[in-house]
Amino acid sequence: MSLPMFLAHGSLGPYDELIFLGVSVVFLVMMGISWFTSRTEEPPADAPPLDTAAPKNRSEERFRLD
Amino acid sequence: MSKTFFAQRKLSVSRFCSLPLSNALGRGWGGVAALQRRLLPLALFLLLAGLLFPQPAAAHGYLLRAMPEDRAVLERPPVRLQYWFSEDLERDFSTVHLRDQNGTILATGRVSDENQALMTLRVPPDLPNGAYIVELRTAFASDGHVVAESRVFFVGEEVGDVAGQAANARAHPLEIVWRTITLSSTMLLFGLFTLYAGVMVPAWGSPVHRSGWLPPRVMNRLNWLIGAALAAVFAGNALALVQQTMTFFNVDFAAALNPELWSVVRIGSRFGDAWNARMVFLLIVAGMFAASVVLRKANPATVRPVLTANAWVMALVIGTFSVTSHAAGSQVLPWVGIAVDWLHGVGVGFWVGGLAALVLVLPAALRPYTDDARRLALLAALRRFSRYAVASLVVVVASGIYSASNWIATPNDLTQTSFGGALLLKLLLVAGLVGLGALHHVALNPKRYARFAALIRPITGFIGTLRLEVVVALLVLISVGQLSATPVPVPEDAGQDITPPSATQALDDMQVSVTLSPGGPGVNTYDVVVTRENIPVEALNVRLRLVNPNADWRSIWLTAEAVGGGLYVAAGPEIDAPGQWWTLVDLGQGEAMQRLAFAWDIQAEAAITQTRAPSVSNLVALAVVIAALAWVVYPWAADFYRRLDLNPTNVTVAVGATAATVFLLALGFVILQQTQQRYQARLNPPPQVVNAVLPDQDSLQRGQTLFEEACTAWPNSRDFLALRRELPLLRDDALYMALDEGWRGLRGCDDLTDAQRWDVVNYLRTLDL
Repeated sequence: MSLPMFLAHGSLGPYDELIFLGVSVVFLVMMGISWFTSRTEEPPADAPPLDTAAPKNRSEERFRLD
Repeated sequence: MSKTFFAQRKLSVSRFCSLPLSNALGRGWGGVAALQRRLLPLALFLLLAGLLFPQPAAAHGYLLRAMPEDRAVLERPPVRLQYWFSEDLERDFSTVHLRDQNGTILATGRVSDENQALMTLRVPPDLPNGAYIVELRTAFASDGHVVAESRVFFVGEEVGDVAGQAANARAHPLEIVWRTITLSSTMLLFGLFTLYAGVMVPAWGSPVHRSGWLPPRVMNRLNWLIGAALAAVFAGNALALVQQTMTFFNVDFAAALNPELWSVVRIGSRFGDAWNARMVFLLIVAGMFAASVVLRKANPATVRPVLTANAWVMALVIGTFSVTSHAAGSQVLPWVGIAVDWLHGVGVGFWVGGLAALVLVLPAALRPYTDDARRLALLAALRRFSRYAVASLVVVVASGIYSASNWIATPNDLTQTSFGGALLLKLLLVAGLVGLGALHHVALNPKRYARFAALIRPITGFIGTLRLEVVVALLVLISVGQLSATPVPVPEDAGQDITPPSATQALDDMQVSVTLSPGGPGVNTYDVVVTRENIPVEALNVRLRLVNPNADWRSIWLTAEAVGGGLYVAAGPEIDAPGQWWTLVDLGQGEAMQRLAFAWDIQAEAAITQTRAPSVSNLVALAVVIAALAWVVYPWAADFYRRLDLNPTNVTVAVGATAATVFLLALGFVILQQTQQRYQARLNPPPQVVNAVLPDQDSLQRGQTLFEEACTAWPNSRDFLALRRELPLLRDDALYMALDEGWRGLRGCDDLTDAQRWDVVNYLRTLDL
């Protein structure tokens, strides 16, 4: 079965359209997954302060911006 | 976007621009400020210099073989001109003209129907002695670059004052503009989205800020930067389409704005395919971003998912550049080349784009803080970014080594070509960038690198050195643009002068010349020129058959198309291996055909190869890329490993299932290979005896006489009729054995020597029904 060529004019081989579309679909799926996970995911818990004088939400790893 | 957004945007920008360097740099790093002040104008100067003085020869493809060679002196005019290139050409935008010494166009050629990397032109008959100029205008499909050059050949004797012009493909200034704009804005967009998701939210985020988890001042700065970068990337792509239209149609800017022209480029070229895909992805990004801005108050929960998800789409946008990069024209594993180039682009986006995004966002983020709070806020972001930057750097260096290994085959390629020079310049700038990054990495881990304390003492404020890093990164991007627009080194074996196999035989009062071009294994054109007393003979029926006697294989009969001037042309991939080959030519008028047979010794070197096997350096570089990727994903893999329930039962099942899967896959592969080999061996086994007699007209006449004398019982037998029907399926060795031992009801023919038997076999071949 000959596939209609609509991307890259088949210049990179007979299945370049399928490969390009496959990669695009994979990335768009990853986009969807990251969309849903980022809706519910919490930022990392505030690390314990290195400096006891510092407020609890401040360290060299995490600093909650006001 | 609301007035507040614009008002805050204006305020943020003005504050960022007026941020005193001394504050940002910290005390004791005045040298950085001075250096930065010098480098900024230098970067701008280089950018302008790049625009004003475009680099020559931007195309990525090159000429592999020319027939005739440049300045060739030919005794007789050629039948056709053929030029093989290293990459496919755009069929609609590539032309070749043949001119005489007065500049008159004698003929026009185009890309071959059989081979998209071949330009061919039919030379008019009766070309008088003199000098002829061939004008080539080739548009390479991989990147849309167009090269114009002219070459000369002479018929009779050389004329001294006629010369061709070497490839004169100066990069279009507009191309450098759009490449700089699109590359910078694409990298910045990718950096902004990845920095937001991977650094800003984890380091600074809080659900208190419902819209995007970051304070409004930071979100406003982000939105402004994303909006500006999107506007720039759309503008750059619009310019790209116009410039490509100018290049393909050889028209000026105003003419290229005509939709009838640019729509042809958009729809009818590989550049257009990549452009279309890029625009679709960018529209997705822009649409989602616009929705997040509009809904940021009504539905603030959408902001973070939108910005996070857009990073994936921007990775696809970067991929569209790889499809039209040097890698797409690589002769070594082009798909791997494209993938590695994409990896390289994504790494640069993380590193350089993220760095630029960080420097542009920091002033807004750190504005309310001073002293230790400012330091902690900065460190929280820098520590996270540093991890990404180091991982990206490793990937960028490894993938860069692989990409270079595609084009740099010898030390001379690095030191004596413009591509090598551009690569060295880029490496020098990247080394500077790596040095600055290393200083930051050390400064972020002072306890771990206590021995370098003196080196990092001046780095107290970070922002100053980060800006310096961005300036160097800008220089790197300019050098990347230069490298993209620089022709790759042409391999030493390209453009070799190999004369195509050609022979002439007499048939009655006609002269018949056959030429195989290029004459090596692969797709060839078969030119048959028939003349009578130097006058072309037209209206003949001509057919050809290619025979490999050692494999006892013959092609179907190919009908040669009459193209005028006594030239009859066929083409195909029949010759698939070096060695001895025959071309059988039947020609005549009506049913009466006469036979000519030509024997060739096909050389492997004559093949036009657009692909080659990876070298050791390619494979080593690929291994480096894989190792770099493994190193980058190791923390995630280790984390995944720690979460596994590794009790003995699970481990046993997992190892057993993996081993069984690998074993079955390997077994399936081996069985498939063996079955295929057995099928091929059964389909076309090595002949038991090899036909040693060329089936020319003499052999056919001898064979007919011998057949009539020695095989007297055959013509009247019904089995002979069956044999004639099955001739297309019977190989020469089977016919030879049939003459010796008989076939079905036919008895063997009497007293024939080996040579005579082959004559009869050749004759029998003419009797197929």
